[in-house]
Amino acid sequence: MSSEVGAGAAGVAGRTYPPVNFQIEPERAAAFARAIGADPKDGVPPTFAAVYSLGATAPQLFGDPDAAVDFARLLHADQEFTWARHPRPGETVTSQGRVASDVSRRGMRFVTFETETTDPTGQPVCRSKALFVIRS
Amino acid sequence: MSERTITFTKEQIVAYAEASGDHNPIHLDDDFARTVGLPGIIAHGMLQMGLMAMVAAEAAGGPDRLRRLYCRFAGMVVPGDTVTFMAKPAGEGKLELRAVNQREEPVLTKSVGEYSS
Repeated sequence: MSSEVGAGAAGVAGRTYPPVNFQIEPERAAAFARAIGADPKDGVPPTFAAVYSLGATAPQLFGDPDAAVDFARLLHADQEFTWARHPRPGETVTSQGRVASDVSRRGMRFVTFETETTDPTGQPVCRSKALFVIRS
Repeated sequence: MSERTITFTKEQIVAYAEASGDHNPIHLDDDFARTVGLPGIIAHGMLQMGLMAMVAAEAAGGPDRLRRLYCRFAGMVVPGDTVTFMAKPAGEGKLELRAVNQREEPVLTKSVGEYSS
């Protein structure tokens, strides 16, 4: 039964996953900067949010048996990041993911996954909104 | 106007997979990618967006000023594709963003960028 839930009309919309702490290791942020051709001296690249925000939480969705996401058939269709500020190397942030919507139509499944990232004082850092399309 | 032109390589896509932790085989394994109906491996949308963010940050006057970035991953980018990323201030803290491949086809569409001064 549970394996059919994700493919159903309602899917896992509204599901919230436990918060995840993520330490922004300077070496990792620098390696990310080099991979996109940025200068590590410019600090944590803005789209390192793909790691500390989206990347810290999306595995919870992909590993959720009720969500039943076929990772290999998943395409990242769009992405939005909104930053209150950009984190600094060495900082630890907390990210919490939530399935904002989960709709299937015409053999395609559309999952909107939102992540809120905050600092240790609870102040907002980044908000991520990803649309995943899973082809059947 | 800030602009950067990149020819994507398999090595760069693999390096991005390592650095980002996104190891979806559609970005790493040609044979696998074909089994799910793709022409072969494709670049991560987030790698394209990372490059877009760099030119956006440049146009905004620094990465710390970037407040919002939205991209729709509309066109597939495969190794060998050359993509030009462009950003320019469009007034009131908004950026005009464009990313087109060597055939002048947009690869990122509906892009939105906002920055603070």
